[in-house]
Amino acid sequence: MSWTLCVDFGTAFSKAAAAPRDAWARFNPERVRPLMLNQQGEGNPFLLDSAVFVDDDRILFGRAALARAGSDPNSRRAALRSFKTLLSVGDLERALNTSAPVSIDPHRMFSMRDLIALYLSHLTACIARAIGADPELSGADLAMRYAAPAWRSSDGANAHANITRLFGEAAALRLHLGADVLSPGGVDLQAARAGLEATRGAGAPEMGLIFEATAAAAYSSIGLENAASHLIVVDMGAGTTDIAALAATGGRLGEISEARVTLKQAGDFIDGVIANIALDAHGKLKTAAQQAEFWRVIMADMRGFKETLFATGRAALRFDKRIVKVAVKDLERDKDFRLFAGALTGAYERGIGALRDRALADGRREVEAIAVGGGAAAPFIKALVQRKPRNAGKIKVIARPATPAWAHAPAFNGNLAPVFPQLAIAIGGALAPESMIAARGGVSQA
Amino acid sequence: MSAPKKPKGKRAAPKSAAHAVSLPEALGEAAWIEADRALALAMAELEEVEAASNQVRRAEALMLLRQALARAARVRGFQRLCGEPGSVEPYDPRRHELISAPARAPAQVLILAQGVARGGEILVKARAKAVRKRAAS
Repeated sequence: MSWTLCVDFGTAFSKAAAAPRDAWARFNPERVRPLMLNQQGEGNPFLLDSAVFVDDDRILFGRAALARAGSDPNSRRAALRSFKTLLSVGDLERALNTSAPVSIDPHRMFSMRDLIALYLSHLTACIARAIGADPELSGADLAMRYAAPAWRSSDGANAHANITRLFGEAAALRLHLGADVLSPGGVDLQAARAGLEATRGAGAPEMGLIFEATAAAAYSSIGLENAASHLIVVDMGAGTTDIAALAATGGRLGEISEARVTLKQAGDFIDGVIANIALDAHGKLKTAAQQAEFWRVIMADMRGFKETLFATGRAALRFDKRIVKVAVKDLERDKDFRLFAGALTGAYERGIGALRDRALADGRREVEAIAVGGGAAAPFIKALVQRKPRNAGKIKVIARPATPAWAHAPAFNGNLAPVFPQLAIAIGGALAPESMIAARGGVSQA
Repeated sequence: MSAPKKPKGKRAAPKSAAHAVSLPEALGEAAWIEADRALALAMAELEEVEAASNQVRRAEALMLLRQALARAARVRGFQRLCGEPGSVEPYDPRRHELISAPARAPAQVLILAQGVARGGEILVKARAKAVRKRAAS
């Protein structure tokens, strides 16, 4: 059987999923296969921490990189985490050739391109290991794709060529570095430098690009008789919140470029707001050291804290003999949050306006709205896609569930739905038909 | 010869051949990794509930206990079954556990405690009691 594999490198986690190449025509939910990329024994095995840490003499990846970066709260050293933000910038070539900041690379040995190539070598090694362990995928014919936000510059084809070259160098680097690239102990610095020199210019693999909004459309529409022809997607990840609108023209989904807005506030920003509210709620932590310790503790389990807050409207934390309580209404009252919420509503209404005009021009009276990413469970994101926008006019906006009905199939024993929002883009990217691909090889088809 | 000891501390890494078992099992294993931590927190909070010296501390510990259990349930994909306590709905023996067995199956039941389901499988039925028909006036 032929398969399609899609990689989604998010700001916080990288994910990958595979689906049969003919999934769009003959959809069987049971054949969707998210890959277990994280085998370091901690955290969710389907979520690989997007992180690289340049240590004194080695380079660490994933969970080991984060553990090392967090081991000394007084250190100014940091792990590189913002691959996705970097890969989305307008002038990618220039951004890649920038030296890594001293806080990330104190040895001044690596450019951003080098560190991304090293991380991708780790990621591709994790993917290869997961494929090798899967009897359905091992040895199968696999077509590769990656998901990315739509390019904001006009030079999308060049950006795609740059990224496929990076994947090509990463694949060669993985073979050059051998087993160390998967080891929690990481790779020797000099070996990494030598490997980068030896593999520079390795050929780019044949890879497809799928825009994240299109991947969302794919997983939310697959298997439905009436797939959406006009769709707005609100994607709140860790690093950015992206609004994108799609319209079907001649059987092909294309992005409405004037609808796209990217906000730099997203999950990480919300985490900071919640942590500050909790810090204020504690009220007894006066010294910088006490506050830093509180910050470290709440951030260590912020994903769980936030999940509870969003699911139940309140969450609590035990710290220093006190119980600190935070309610969603505390978040909604926060000044920074209100600014963000205003910008989010403005961006959404801008997208709705563009989508409304296109739908009316196409003779449609209904559009669909869907929230994806880790923020899909946030009450303010749910409310945004469920309420009627002020500028909807004659258009009816129908909210689609963040987790499609097929993810609740009995075959998954209830275990796919809880993690679906985080795996959604990789899964949608693997399920999407070729007609939804934005670019293949180095040539843009958008 | 004694059996080799299992490693203590961190949960052992999932077997690299986890997919060879089945995808649902691999997904279940992933969910358990997160649920384990929540259940461990629940155990710790249970001790706080039992040792609480006053009502305020007990209520706070109960809140954290409820939060930890709810988190474990969420990551394991549990969903509430039937309506909220106090609601009345048609009796369905597959979904309702009657607290006392009437001579005849009731037409409607009052929900006393919601049940729990996961992926279409009913793990615990909702506890309910039969609603008596009012005599016609």
